[in-house]
Order: sequence, then structure tokens, then C-alpha cells
Amino acid sequence: MHVQLLEFALGLYSVGLLHSVLTVLRKKQTLFKPAVVATLIGFACHAASIAIRAYELQRFALAQRYESFSFFAALAVLAFLLVYWKYKIDSLGIFSFPAIFVMTFIANLAYTTQDSVPELLRSRWIYIHTPLVILGYVAFFIAFSAAVLYLFQERELKLKRVFFNRLPSLEICDDLAYRALAVGFPLMTLGILSGALWAQQVWGVQWMSDPKILLAFVTWLIYLLLIHYRLIAGWRGKKAAYLAIVGFIGVVATFSMSGLHAFQP
Amino acid sequence: MELALIGVSHKTAPVEVRERLAFPSDKIRAALESLLEKTHAAEAMILSTCNRVEIVVAQGPDAQLVRDFICEYHQIPAESISEHLYSYKNADAIRHLFRVTASLDSMMLGEPQILGQVKEAYRLASAAGTIGSGLSPLLNRAFAVAKRVRSETGISNSAVSISYAAVELARKIFGDLSGKTVMIIGASKMGELAAKHLRRNGVASVLVTNRTFEKAVEIAKIFEGAAIPFEHFSDHIDRADIVISSTGAPHFIITRQLAEQVIRNRRNNPVFFIDIAVPRDVDPSVNDIDNAFVYDIDDLQQVIDSNMKERMKEAGRAEEIVDREVQAFCTRMQSREVAPTIVLVRESVEKVRREEIERHRRLLRDMPADQQAAALGAIDQITQSLMNKILHHPISQMKEMANDPDGAEFIETVRKIFNIKPQ
Repeated sequence: MHVQLLEFALGLYSVGLLHSVLTVLRKKQTLFKPAVVATLIGFACHAASIAIRAYELQRFALAQRYESFSFFAALAVLAFLLVYWKYKIDSLGIFSFPAIFVMTFIANLAYTTQDSVPELLRSRWIYIHTPLVILGYVAFFIAFSAAVLYLFQERELKLKRVFFNRLPSLEICDDLAYRALAVGFPLMTLGILSGALWAQQVWGVQWMSDPKILLAFVTWLIYLLLIHYRLIAGWRGKKAAYLAIVGFIGVVATFSMSGLHAFQP
Repeated sequence: MELALIGVSHKTAPVEVRERLAFPSDKIRAALESLLEKTHAAEAMILSTCNRVEIVVAQGPDAQLVRDFICEYHQIPAESISEHLYSYKNADAIRHLFRVTASLDSMMLGEPQILGQVKEAYRLASAAGTIGSGLSPLLNRAFAVAKRVRSETGISNSAVSISYAAVELARKIFGDLSGKTVMIIGASKMGELAAKHLRRNGVASVLVTNRTFEKAVEIAKIFEGAAIPFEHFSDHIDRADIVISSTGAPHFIITRQLAEQVIRNRRNNPVFFIDIAVPRDVDPSVNDIDNAFVYDIDDLQQVIDSNMKERMKEAGRAEEIVDREVQAFCTRMQSREVAPTIVLVRESVEKVRREEIERHRRLLRDMPADQQAAALGAIDQITQSLMNKILHHPISQMKEMANDPDGAEFIETVRKIFNIKPQ
């Protein structure tokens, strides 16, 4: 049942994907409202799917690749809907919808009927570490999207290209990027800390040489730098946007890299 | 309903002619009353703005009488205005009225004022009691069409004046303008206008500086702002989010060095420089500084031009809406009139038939009673079927013409043929 629900949600999310593709191709907003509605309904199915899975297993399911991706995608949808509700930035959908679709798609692909959880992941830590990290990623994704929108709008304004775009104003982009960073950074910090403690318990000191963990740490440093520049040097706008994008490249690299604790079933 | 529209507009007449034909709003009531009296129309409305003077008359209109009225009222010889006057009838008059109200005939395509002006004309005519069952639905439909055009097309979307373009651009940078500060350097009408629009869109405070300090004080008063001596303006410029410069200086007032300083002092908060001076006041290379945006007069003009092009494109779609609405309105109007006309035609012929039977009844008086009844029955039947046969084609034609744009004239002709008076 939870699998069908997730597939159904994926189908609904594809409207969003279609919106993004058509909007970019036609350079004109297409199908936005239907995409938001479909995503809203999709989210309801998605949440139900997660709840049913948790009920069936009698535990909140995060250990499997299927579960973690599904959870990740659900949080991304929730974040998008919340930000859209608050900021009304249509163009954020161009980034968010495909990301949501891809995450959900991977979750669907990764599903196996095998329920066993690897020994390594049978730990309470998973309920602390994973949600924190995922929430941090989602916030950084929003910061990244806002930064890209900022750069687009900034370039249009500087080149004095006449624009009929629906891009948000520079100040809103910058504000959103900053807020997302302010939310994402503490979450990621706690996520990494909890991960370190967990790893310490499991592997002892050797965890520090895990490339994935190292990369996560480098990414964290980039964001630390960004916060520092924003607060101390009064960075904003373009420079801050570039750094937010670099940081997110780090996030994607960390996430896709397999290491000691990649989500292996 | 018969309808005529006679008028002049910026497209047909220069301002010297338009101003002579204008009706001041306090005289419109009296003008409408004398108009109805002179032209024998039942309903009328006068729309008089700086770009057009139009008179709409309904129920028994005669374009020539309206022309005569205009000449007589303004005491102008007919020859001097006849080439400027246009007149439309029925469906064409409806189309023209819809287009005017929807701002498709405006000098500035899509400008929003005209709708209010037509509404005011309607209000004045209503107050004068010259609007009835004919013009009332027509005008209300015109308002609805204007709203439809506004919401369904982008005809009024983008800025087409320097000052609106400035506001639009400022919004792209700052989003919400409330709480922002604007600085005006140099006194010029255009700078003042831009500041006025920014102020109306939420800008909180205005700083004014000018070489002649008195002038700065004067302008600052208008905006409840602060005047700053010209020598000190660079000490205050970093308070401004938007700088409008329009001095007559032959060199740059805002150099790259100054702008860099400003951005630093503002901790990288963006500044929008609007340079409407020629020669320019702001070094164009300021635009290369992060968080500084410079638009000179040509840049603004370019924004306006492309917005205008966009409006033109949208106007095409608006015309389609108007066409469909005119068609729909004519159909509704005629079908409302066709049905009663058919009834009246039948009634009038039936009346003739009964009168004739009654008149010739005495021819049968010598017959025995039973034969007389049979004969009367036969006569009744024959005349009835004769009447039906004769009326069959005209009536089916009338039903058909109900959906035709020229239907109103046809119905009118039928009414004349059968001598049916308007009720």
C-alpha cells in the first residue's frame, strides 16, 4: 500500500516536473497552479505512505535507502510548500519540482521487499542524525535555489535586458537565501555532531578518515565561511550567492559519494 | 434598440478642435436635456475628456440631428468640424464604446483612467435622467468588458512612462518599497514626477539637494522631505536606496569612487541610481559595482519601448475579446426585441383579419342560420391559413436575423412595414 501511494505521489509530482521543463523551454510560466495543486495532493499521499510504512514496521522507517529518500523528498515538498506559502515566489518551483520528483523517483526505484535493517544502522542515533542532516540539506537546497534566482535577476538588471520575468526581487531572494542558511546551518552542525558521536561509538577514531565524512566537514566549513562573511563583512547579494552555490555543490557531492556509511541496505 | 455614437477623439481631431467641443462636467446635465429635446432621442450620454468628446444616443437617434446639436451648442460652423467627426451606428457604435472603455482607443494604450471617465459620464447622465433601459445594460456591459480585458490580457501590465518604469525597476531590486529612502539631486519636473510615483508606492522619506538651496527646500516641502545643501549631499547619499539625478552639470556628479564609497558605507545594501540628466550625472561604470544599479534615460526608454510592444501584442487579444463581446451583446439585445416584435406583427395582422370578417359578415345575413355558421367557419379557416402563409416567411426570417449583427435594422424595417410603433 505504501509503495502504491508513493508511486501515486510520484505521478502527481510529475506535473511539477512538467511545469519546470515547459517553463524553461517556453520562457513563460506554464502549468504552475496545476503543479502546486498536484504537489499538494501528492504530498498528502506521500505523508500517508510514510505513516503506513511506519505503522507496518512499528517503527519510524529511515534505515533503508527507500525510506530515507522518501523521507527526504517529503521534507523537500513540505519545505517548498511552506516557503511558497510565505514568500509566494513562483520561480522557486523551477528548482524544487524536479528535485522533489528525482528524490521520489529514487525512493521508488530503491524499494525492495526485504525488510532487514543492516546491523550498523540499528541504533537510536539514526533517528537523530538522519532527520537533522536531511533537514539541513533541504534548507541548503532552498538557499541554493534562492541564490540562483538572485544571480539571474541581478544579471538581467545589470545588463538592462528588458524582462517580463516573474523572478522575485533581489532583496527577497537574498533574504530567503539568508534565512534558509540561518536555519540550515545549525541543523547541519547538529547533524554532523550527532554523526560524529555515532561514528565514534561504532568505529572509534578511524571514522575521521572516511572520505564522505571529510567532504561533509569541508562543506560545513564553506557554510561557516558564508555565515562569517555575511555577519562580519556584510556580504550579501552576488558574492554570498556564489558561495551558497559552491556550498550546495559540496552538499550534492557529499550526498552522492559512497563512504563507510552510505545508505546501503 | 437603435443606437448612434458621434464624436471626435485624439485620432481624428487636434487639441484645438477637441477643446472647443468639450463639455465641462457642470454643464453636462443641461446639455443632455437640450440634446434630447433637439434630437428626439429617448436616451443619451456625453463623454467629454481631454482626448475625446463623444455623444451616445439611443432609441430614435439621428446622427445628423446630433451633429447639428453639437454645432449649435458650441456655436461652431458645421464645416469646420465635419471632417473631424465620426459617427457609428448600432453594432459599430457598441464596438466603439467597448473599445474606448477598455482603453483600446486611448492615446496611451491600456491606460486605466478612461474606465473611470466613462463611469463618470454614465453617472452624470443617470443623474440627469437620460439613461434608460437601452443605454444602461450597454454601459454596464462595457464596464464588464473593460474589466475582462484588463484581467485577461496584459494590456495594462507594464510601465510605459519614465516614472512608472523607475518604480517597476525599483521593485525588481527592493521588492517592497516601504521604508526606503529616495534622494533627488537637481530640480527637474521628471525627477519630481519619478519621486512622486515612488512616494506613492511606499517610499518612506525623500531627500532633496540642489545647487540653488531654496529650490531644494521648495521641492522637499512637496514630499515632506529634507533639503540638503548641495555641498554636503555626498555626506547624506548613503542613506538613499534610490538616487534620482537630473542636474544640468556637464560632468559626472556621482563618480565611480563616490559610488564605491557609498556601497561600502551601506554595507553592500543595494542602491538604484536613476540618471535622467543629459549629459549624464552618473558615471556609467558605476553599474559594474556590485549592488549598484544604474539606469540612464535611454535605458528607461528601452524598458518603456519593449513594454509598449508587449502592450500592442496584448491589444490584439483584447480586440478579439471585444469582438466576441459585441457579437454576444447584439445577439442578446436583438433576441430580446425579436420576440415581442413577432407577437406584435401577428397581433396586428390578426386584428385586420377580425375587422374584415366583422365588416363583411352582413353579406351572409340572408343565409339560413346553419349555412351561415358553416360559411363563417370556412371563412375563418381560409383567412387564418392565408395569414399564416403570408406571415410564415417574414417571421422565420426575423428569427434568423436575431443572430445577425445587422439584425436590428431588419427588425426596424419589419416594424415599419407593419406599422408597429415603439412602445
